[in-house]
Parts: sequence; C-alpha cells; structure tokens
Amino acid sequence: MKAETKEMAKSKEQDLQKQEVKDEKTVAGRFYQPLTDIVESNNALIVTMDMPGVAKENVNVKVEKNVLEVEGQIDSSPYLDTKPIYTEYNVGHYTRRFTVSSEIDTEKIEASLDDGVLHLTLPKKPEAEPRRISVS
Amino acid sequence: MFGSFSTTLDTLLALQDAMDRSMKSDYYDMNTSGRGVFPTINLFEQEDNLMLVAELPGIQKEDLKLEVKNNLLRLAGERKIEYGKDLSIHRRERRSSNFDRSFKLPFAVESDKIKAEYKNGLLAVTLPRAEADKPRKISIS
Repeated sequence: MKAETKEMAKSKEQDLQKQEVKDEKTVAGRFYQPLTDIVESNNALIVTMDMPGVAKENVNVKVEKNVLEVEGQIDSSPYLDTKPIYTEYNVGHYTRRFTVSSEIDTEKIEASLDDGVLHLTLPKKPEAEPRRISVS
Repeated sequence: MFGSFSTTLDTLLALQDAMDRSMKSDYYDMNTSGRGVFPTINLFEQEDNLMLVAELPGIQKEDLKLEVKNNLLRLAGERKIEYGKDLSIHRRERRSSNFDRSFKLPFAVESDKIKAEYKNGLLAVTLPRAEADKPRKISIS
C-alpha cells in the first residue's frame, strides 16, 4: 500500500471515530437513550425505538456519513405546575446514534412515529441484497 | 475508646454499602427507567389532584385495563412486541410483557371524575381527591 493511500485510509478511520463521540447538546434538559430493537429482513434493516412522550413533529432523524442519529424532544409543559411525589422514571429528551453500514440506501429511509414508538426502515442497496445463484 | 473505633468502622462499612448499592442501581444508566417494573410510573401532585403518568409506548388502548376502587388503582394489560420469523434479530431491548400493577393512593378519589388520556405513548390519569376526603378547615372563634 502506498503511503498516500495509507494516510487516506487512516484519516477516514479517524473521521468515523470522531462521529462516534457524542456532540455536546445546547438544548436544555437531560437526554436519555431510547430502548431500541434492530431486526434485519432480506431487503431492509428495521429499527424500532421507544420514545414515550415525544410528538411526531419533535423527532429528528438524520444520516450523516454512515451515522444514523435520532433525536426526540418531549414537551415538559404538563409537568410545570406539578410536584412529584413518587417517581420511577426520569423525564427527558431522547437521543441515540448508530453507525450503519454503507449497504444502506440512505436516500430511501422511512420513519414513522405511533404512540411513542419510532419505526425506521433502512432499505439495503440492491447490490447488497443476497443473490441466490441457481446451480444447473 | 473501643466504642468510637467500632462506630468508625460501622461508618466505613455503611459507606461501602452505600457505594455498592449505587453501583448496582441503574440511576446512572442512560435510559429513562431501570430494568425493574413495567410499566414505570410517575405520580405528581397537582393542587388537590393526583396525576399518574405511565410510560407505555406502542400499546393498544383496548389492551389496557384501568380500574379504581376507593384508594386503590389498578393498571393491567399486555404489551406485545413480535417480529416475523423471517427476520433476524440484532438487538432487542424493548420488552413485551403482561403487566398488572396496583397502586395505593394517599387518599380516596372521586371515581367518576377520573380522566385518563393516552397520548404519544404516555398514559396520564388525573385523579381528583374525593370531596368527602378533603380536609375541612375549621375556623376558631
């Protein structure tokens, strides 16, 4: 391997590593990780996240350089005039990141939010789908 | 002398115990709730009323059962999470479960004035305090 290409590969690797590091948030409030299921079908990856308290318009899904980032913000106004007397869970925004493989067609990602559950469908690129070769 | 020694040791042991417990607890986890009970609830006080909020993402309203009797509130139901057989599972953190929880409220509630709303995966139950149960102010002459 040429020194130049080696250098390039290295910087690309560093670039990816940098993305793994969490950005500092400027939005007030605590952020939590939503519980997530990831399943794979023949032609897509399906990501399901629990985000109770998040409305449709407050979800942000973005893909940047193979990093899928999901952010959901809750509305804390119903809690303003209340006094907690017994608590079992923390109230806060949600954020989580995943590195997706390059086999994902980032243009065709679909997202929907129903009853606090975010469904993401990440279709695989056609060439990444397994091809069955018939033996004659 | 010996007494003070033993209290120091006790203090240290208590400290160690407290640290062990904090390590075992999920307070420092990144999730909103621990891995214990389901569904997790928060109980708030709002003037004379109580507001119970339960984290129940992705549930069918028909699968939820909410009952109240005097100061006992029961929340039961089922949460189903199923994936087809042709899917391979990479990560599974969300749970499907049957649940049945009862809560003893600090006062009797007006059962016909209870309001329950399910929105964005949160169940909010407003529990007004029963008129008969409210403390009476007695004027002193």
